[in-house]
Amino acid sequence: MTPSPRVQYDMASSRPQQANLADILERVLDKGIVIAGDIKVNLLDIELLTIKIRLLVASVDKAKEMGIDWWENDPMLSSRKRDQVLEEENRELKERLKELESGA
Amino acid sequence: MSTGLYFYAICRGVTADDLAGQAGIGEAPLRLVDQDGLGAVVSEVDLDEFGEDGLKRNLEDLAWLETVALAHDRVTRLVAEKAPTAPLRLATVFLGEASLREQLAQWHERAERALDRVEGRSEWSVKAYVDPEARGEQSQDEPAPEGMGAGKAYLLKRRAATLRRESLAEADAATADEIHAALQGVSVAGRRLAPQDRRLTGHTGEMVLNGTYLVDETRVVLFKSAVDALAAQHVGVRVEVGGPWPPYSFASLDEQ
Repeated sequence: MTPSPRVQYDMASSRPQQANLADILERVLDKGIVIAGDIKVNLLDIELLTIKIRLLVASVDKAKEMGIDWWENDPMLSSRKRDQVLEEENRELKERLKELESGA
Repeated sequence: MSTGLYFYAICRGVTADDLAGQAGIGEAPLRLVDQDGLGAVVSEVDLDEFGEDGLKRNLEDLAWLETVALAHDRVTRLVAEKAPTAPLRLATVFLGEASLREQLAQWHERAERALDRVEGRSEWSVKAYVDPEARGEQSQDEPAPEGMGAGKAYLLKRRAATLRRESLAEADAATADEIHAALQGVSVAGRRLAPQDRRLTGHTGEMVLNGTYLVDETRVVLFKSAVDALAAQHVGVRVEVGGPWPPYSFASLDEQ
């Protein structure tokens, strides 16, 4: 079957060309078997390194700059952001209205 | 220098020969630690780099993170192409083989079940984008009705634009839900990941779906046909398929 023009496949068996860093990071950092849920590192006692990497990476400003921020994609947060946008717009509109009415 | 064992993945049925000549992070040779029929794919890493302090420092270095993530993915892929594989999360490092074996023994039954779930299956990514410009954010400039003041006309226009944006966003969400549901129907399991940030990916348009699906090898063709059909059904939606991936999103130990 011929793929429709709007479908793009990346079929390479090694690193897929289309698999960008985000595709890989969201899987290797956020998925996969994890030893423990929290930073609980005690080299001497248990000889085991366990790191909750998401927390560590989340503390990195550089990562945020680059947009690696899926741990922040909490629906609450994004809806709050949307509300802020609406409020801002509402405020602008009121000001604009005042301007127009005083000018008329 | 003291070294630790970087643990890439658990697998079943891979032999030491399969890994012969293959290198992992820092070009260190890959090794197989076999424990009761389950294999741990590991390579030695320097604990100055991968110990607690080293990791905290290095994880803040995106270039380092990228190199390690790519190597982790490359090794996991290599193993997943040969046998059922459950990838570990990035930077799982054991200080010695004894503690690693102990952990493997402890995970044994759950790991067997995880491998059963992914055997003969692989992960496929499907992303859907809409391009707000291509579908036309037109109809901005309708003339104001006769006798309406400029202020009111302006407000009405802004309000209409807001409503239009909201209804488009709703339509996009419905499109994404529909595509995801349809793909779940032709896969063993499906999950939605958070849409990616275009500053990182450079994609154009709005990513409305970042889905990932566990697909039976015998049904990959069917899965792709379903993607084609969905793309054809949704005009203005661009669909991108990626895979096969090792089953990162579906090989967790804690599912029953």
